[in-house]
Amino acid sequence: MLAMEILDPVGSTTAASRALAPRPASLQGAVIGVLDNSKPNARVLLEGVARGLAEKLGAREVKRWRKPGASIGATASVLDEIAAHCGAVLTASAD
Amino acid sequence: MLGTHEFRPLALAEAKAKGLPDLGIVTVPHPIGGIAEHLVAGKARAAVDDVLATLTRASRADGGEAATLEGPASRHRAPDDLLDFQGFMMEQGWGDGLPLIPATTERVAAMLAGTRRPPGDLVAVLPPRLGRATVEQIGVNAVLAGALPEHLPVILAAVEAVGQPAFNLQAIQTTTHPCSPLVIVNGPIAGRLGINGAGNALGQGHRANAVIGRALRLVLQNVGGARPGREDRATQGHPGKYSYCVAENEAASPWEPLSVERGFPREISTVTVCASEGPHNINDHGSATAAGILTTVAGTAATVGSNNIYLGGEPLVIMGPEHAATVAGGGWSKAAFKRALWERARVPLSRFDPSNLDRFSVIHPAGFKDRPPESLVPIAREWSDIMVVVAGGAGKHSVLIPTFGATRSVTQRIEE
Repeated sequence: MLAMEILDPVGSTTAASRALAPRPASLQGAVIGVLDNSKPNARVLLEGVARGLAEKLGAREVKRWRKPGASIGATASVLDEIAAHCGAVLTASAD
Repeated sequence: MLGTHEFRPLALAEAKAKGLPDLGIVTVPHPIGGIAEHLVAGKARAAVDDVLATLTRASRADGGEAATLEGPASRHRAPDDLLDFQGFMMEQGWGDGLPLIPATTERVAAMLAGTRRPPGDLVAVLPPRLGRATVEQIGVNAVLAGALPEHLPVILAAVEAVGQPAFNLQAIQTTTHPCSPLVIVNGPIAGRLGINGAGNALGQGHRANAVIGRALRLVLQNVGGARPGREDRATQGHPGKYSYCVAENEAASPWEPLSVERGFPREISTVTVCASEGPHNINDHGSATAAGILTTVAGTAATVGSNNIYLGGEPLVIMGPEHAATVAGGGWSKAAFKRALWERARVPLSRFDPSNLDRFSVIHPAGFKDRPPESLVPIAREWSDIMVVVAGGAGKHSVLIPTFGATRSVTQRIEE
């Protein structure tokens, strides 16, 4: 019987919903960015996918950045640089 | 965003917490680490079409939904039979497996009387969920853990400490590494609350240790949203993830307490949180000199498969009082012991596998890059990064606690 009232142990979050950047109509001639999360072989996976995309879509080049460590976030200046250069960017989460 | 199937729940939770629930996530079969590059390249080729579809899929154009503001904790109906209640809590994902005390309105109100801080005060925002750990929300979890109101100030200080940026809680909550915040209590509050720092200091049998550590874990799991096997990706974890709290045995220590090293007067009580592995024994029944104890501690600490060896951070040595007395009896200060341990606890590069050397050379070039095989790597970047605390009772044992590495321990005053 659900006779007892208890308080919620989880509570609220600060997460505000944000819009994603508009999806690119075409990546013809664009730069595809890769942000390597520094996990073993993440670079191989990310660059493999980026090259595959570039071939399929006629992108200009694949540019690569790297987080300072697997458990450390990318700096704001790296993120700004990626945003300024790339038509699309791939990154990785965890292993 | 790319990852492997195993880590998809974490990627989804992080995207949601960042306000981007629609972020394109593509996963490939696990693993990608520790396998040949051509196998990873094959997984990459197979994922190209999925990535393309995800990149070009229409997305929501709106956004900017406001964050939920603090209000009193919401309420749920739960079974009043204790066994049914336990089943209900586990079904909700709010428990750790052990019996919980129902957080009724009355019990939470009594808990909150343990602090002068108002219930709506925000103590920390906890990743990966970015959950708002208010005094009340922490109090709810403290009740669940079996804590008493007098324990609340210690729990609040511990939550505030893990929320500091230097602690890097996002990584600690979600890592595969077996770590959990060890709560080290210094100062007069330890004696007053009966927080054990003597015999069996890291073991069972003391309510204060049990409930303080457990309350912090429940806050991290529930408010922080690090649910085991979902966002908490620990490969094995360790038993200290149920509860991990100890007092420094200041009365039996020949040295200044950890809190005093960190700039607090002895009469001020503090917690120090440290992202810790389980304790590993250092048995030395034979040494009667400081140099002898040093040899045994250094020999136990200098290992290849440790986060600290390549990531740095602060490996922790909990010295038993008898070992500490032997070292101090040789005229060594705590700092002198740390320096000597840092000089001595080193691993030759020849003991690492070449593939790990390649990886570590990128992460820690000064230690690993282009150095001859006989070069030695210390267990911490600086001697002063090694933490030494005295705890335990009679006996010739100390323990080594390696840490997560990409983290700094944080010491926080307990507001009484």
